Amino acid sequence: MTTPTLPPVGDIPGTPTGGRPAARRAGGGWARAVLLRLGTSVLLLWSAVTVSFGLLHLTPGSVEDSLIGMESVSPEVRAEIVAAYGLDRSLIEQYGSYLGRLLRGDLGHSYQIHESVASAIGSRLGASLSLAVASMALALVVALSLAVLTARRARWLRSLSSGVELLGVSVPAFWVGILLLTVFSFELGWFPAFGGEGLTGLVLPAVAVAVSMTALLSQVLREGLELALDQPFVLTARSRGMSELGVRLRHALRHALLPVVTLAGWMFGALISSLVVIEQVFNRDGVGRLVLNAVAAKDMPIVTGVVLLTAAVYIGINVLLDVVYPLIDPRLRGTA
Amino acid sequence: MRLHRSRGVPLLVAVSLLVLSGCGGDGPASEAAGSGEPVTGGTLVYAVNSAPETLDPHVSTQDAAGLYARPVLDSLVVMDEEGEFHPWLATSWDISEDGTVYRFTLREDVTFSDGTPLDAEAVRANLDRIVAPETMSAMAASFVEPYAATTVTGPHTFDIELSEPHAPLLAALSSAYFGIQSPRSLERGTEEIAREIIGSGPYVIEEFSPSTGITYQRNEDYAWQPATAGLEGAPYLERLEFRVMAEDSVRFGALTSRQVDAIGNLPPSGVRQAESVDGLWLTELQAPGGPYAYFPNTEEGVFTDRRVRQAFRDGIDFRALVEQLFFGAFAPAWGPLSPTTPGYDASLEEAWGHDPEGAAALLDEAGWHQRDGEGYRVRDGQRLTVVWPFVSSGAGELGDVLAVQVQAEAAELGFEVVFDTGTQGELVEKYNRGDYDLMDVSWARNDPDALRNLFATSSIPTPDHFAHNAARVSDPQVDEWLDQALATTDPRERAALYGEVQQRLTEEAAVFPVHVSTNVVAGHDHVRDVRWDPQGYPLFHEAWVAS
Repeated sequence: MTTPTLPPVGDIPGTPTGGRPAARRAGGGWARAVLLRLGTSVLLLWSAVTVSFGLLHLTPGSVEDSLIGMESVSPEVRAEIVAAYGLDRSLIEQYGSYLGRLLRGDLGHSYQIHESVASAIGSRLGASLSLAVASMALALVVALSLAVLTARRARWLRSLSSGVELLGVSVPAFWVGILLLTVFSFELGWFPAFGGEGLTGLVLPAVAVAVSMTALLSQVLREGLELALDQPFVLTARSRGMSELGVRLRHALRHALLPVVTLAGWMFGALISSLVVIEQVFNRDGVGRLVLNAVAAKDMPIVTGVVLLTAAVYIGINVLLDVVYPLIDPRLRGTA
Repeated sequence: MRLHRSRGVPLLVAVSLLVLSGCGGDGPASEAAGSGEPVTGGTLVYAVNSAPETLDPHVSTQDAAGLYARPVLDSLVVMDEEGEFHPWLATSWDISEDGTVYRFTLREDVTFSDGTPLDAEAVRANLDRIVAPETMSAMAASFVEPYAATTVTGPHTFDIELSEPHAPLLAALSSAYFGIQSPRSLERGTEEIAREIIGSGPYVIEEFSPSTGITYQRNEDYAWQPATAGLEGAPYLERLEFRVMAEDSVRFGALTSRQVDAIGNLPPSGVRQAESVDGLWLTELQAPGGPYAYFPNTEEGVFTDRRVRQAFRDGIDFRALVEQLFFGAFAPAWGPLSPTTPGYDASLEEAWGHDPEGAAALLDEAGWHQRDGEGYRVRDGQRLTVVWPFVSSGAGELGDVLAVQVQAEAAELGFEVVFDTGTQGELVEKYNRGDYDLMDVSWARNDPDALRNLFATSSIPTPDHFAHNAARVSDPQVDEWLDQALATTDPRERAALYGEVQQRLTEEAAVFPVHVSTNVVAGHDHVRDVRWDPQGYPLFHEAWVAS
C-alpha cells in the first residue's frame, strides 16, 4: 500500500529506477489489492477525523467560549448555545455521534457560518480546485521546459537556473502574491485584484502558488535528467543520430519523470496550505480561506470537513499515481 | 469572538469630515463632475477588511454585521450627531412618567421588499425574536435586558414595556442591530436568514458570501428615509458592492489603482501615503463608547493599590507612543469614553498627563522603593510584576507593537510586564476568572451606558459569564450614578451623572486610556455624499458616483 506520505524532499530518489517502486509487487491478484486499498483508505480517513477532532478539543478554551466570543450573553442564551451544539455531552459522546453522522454521509453544520459543511465546502471547492489545477499545470509545464532546456548545458546557464530556483523555493507565497498584485494589478492594471471568476482572475494567484512548486520540481527533474543523460542508452541513441532534444524528450525524460510525478502528487495534496495564504491575498472564495477562519473560530465541523477532503484528495492522488507509474516505467508492469 | 471592537465611527461625525461634497473643486475629478449635480445610476465599490459570518444583526456580534445590514434594514428611530432621536419607521413616540412604557406610532406607507406591509405586529415579531433565547442573540438582546413585552394596540401603534426604566432603549432601537426585518422572512430558517436578510431599506441584497462580500441593488420603491436624511426616496446608485480585501496593502493598492471607489480601515501607516495621492479624500471616524484602553485589575494583585495604578498611567507617555506609532491618525484618549459618545466629559482632557517623577514617588510611597538586580521594583521580596494576557490578533491596529513599547517604558519605571499569550479561548477563561493584572479592550457602543458595561459591579466577569468590566471595578457610588442615569431620560441630567462617573474613574486611575478607536475611510473624489452612521460605518443611501 502506498501511503500518502513523502520522504523529505532531499530523499527523493533521483535515480532512473527510483521513485515509487513496485507498486504492484505484492501478488494475490487484483481484488485483494483493491480491498487492501479500500481498507487502508477508510483507516486513513478515520484517523484524520479522529486526530483533528482530538486536536481541536485538546487545545485550551471551551468551544462555547469561542462561539459566544467576547460578548456578554445571558445564561439562558449560553445554555441554548451549549444545548444546540450538544456541547454538554461528554467528549466520547460527541465523538461518537459525530462519527455516526459521518457514516450516514452527514458532515454536520458549521458552528459559525450558519451553513451545512457540505454546502460550505461544496460551494468553494470549484474556486480552490481551479486554482490548484491551474497552478499545478503551470508548475509542471514550466519545470519541464526549464529542466529539459538546462540539464547538462553550459555551466552558467545551469547556475543561473538553479539560483533562480533557490530563490523560488525560498520566497514565501504571501510575498510573491503581494508583489504580483503590486506590479501587475496596481501598477500595470493588467489583472484585477479581486473577482476570482474567469481566467484573468486566475492568472496571478496561479503564478503565486506555482512559483515555489516550479522551483522544486525543476530542481528534482534536472537532477534526474542529468543522471539519465549519463546512462549508456543515451550514447546509443545519440549514435543513431537522434537530435539532442529528441534524446532528452524520448529517452532521458521518461527516466527522470518518476520522482517528479511522486513529488507533484504530494505537492498537489499539500496545496491546501498555499491556498490558505493565496486565497486571502487575492480575495478568492475558496476552501483555504474557509478553513483559515474556521480554525480561528474553533469551528470543528468545518475543520474536520476540510481535513476529510484533504485526506480524500491524497488517497485519490495515490490511486492515480499507482495507475500512472506503470505507464511511465514499463518495468513496473505485470511483475506480479 | 472579538475582544477589541471598533464598530468604527462617530456620533458627531460626518459633518466636519465630509470633505467631498462641495469639494473645494481643486481636483480634476471634481471639475470633471461639473456643478456636482447628483448622477443617477452606476455602481459604487467599497472595499472592507471583513464580512460577517451571518447577515442577521439580531444574532451577530460582529461589527461587520451592522455595516452590512444597514443598507437593507430601517430602524424605528434615527440618532443624529447630537445624540438626539428623530422619526424613521416610527413617526412619534411617548415615554411614560416612570420610563417603563414606550408608546410608538408607525408610518403607514412602508412595505418590505418582499411585499409584506410594515405594521405593529411586524415590529413585535422582530423585538420578541431578538430577546428569545432560541435566537441566540449574542449582542442585541443584551442591550435591552429589561425588555418585558411589546403590546400591539392598533394596526400601527404598539407599546414596548420594560421591567425597569432603561434610558438607552432608543439608542439601541436606532442601531442596525435592531433593524426591522420582514416578519415573513423571519419565518425562514437561521441558515437562510444568515445569507439573506429582507427589510424595507434603500437597498436589497443581490448576492452575499461571508468570504467575498455583498452586492446590493437599489430598492426602487424606497420612500421612508429617516428624518435626518438629505435625500428623499430611492438611492441614486444602481448597485452597491462591499468587497472583502483582508490584506491592508491589497485594499490600499486596489484603491490607488482605482479598482475600487472607496475603502475602510485604512492602516494608519497608509494615511500619509494616501494624503499624497491626488484625488483622494480621507475621513477619520471615531467610534463611540469606550476608547482602546488598558484596564488594571483593581480586585486582585498589584493594581489594587490606586497609587500603583496611577503610577503606571502617568509614568508611561501614552500620548507620545500613540502619536509616533499611528502618525497622528488616532487621537489620544483621555477618559473612559470616546469623544463621540453622548455625555463625554471633555474636562478630563489634559486633566492628567505624563509625569514620571510623580509616578516614581507614588511607587516609593506604596512601598515599592527597592529595586532588584534586573532593575525591577520589589516589595517584601516580591517583584512588581504585571501579567497581561494578550491576543495580538485582537489588539487592533498595531496593538502588539504598542504593547511592547509600553512594556519597555514600564520597565524603566520598575514594572515587569509579562505577556501571557495563548489561544483566545484560553485567555477568555483566565479573563473570566480574574487571572490577570492588565487587559486591553475597546468596546464600542452609541450610548454612555457603555460605562455600565465597562465599570458596573454587575459587569464583572465570572467563570460562566463573560462581561466587560475588565478593571473589575466595584464601587457602590459608581453603581448608583449608573442606575440613576438608566432611570432618567433627560439628556442633561444623564450627562451630568455620566460626567461624575468619568471623573471618579479617572481619579481612581481605574482605566489607562490609550487612543480613540478610529476607522479611516478613504475614497476617490468621484464618490460623493457618503454619510456616517453614529454606530460607526459609512451610509450609502445618498451616495452617488460622478461620471
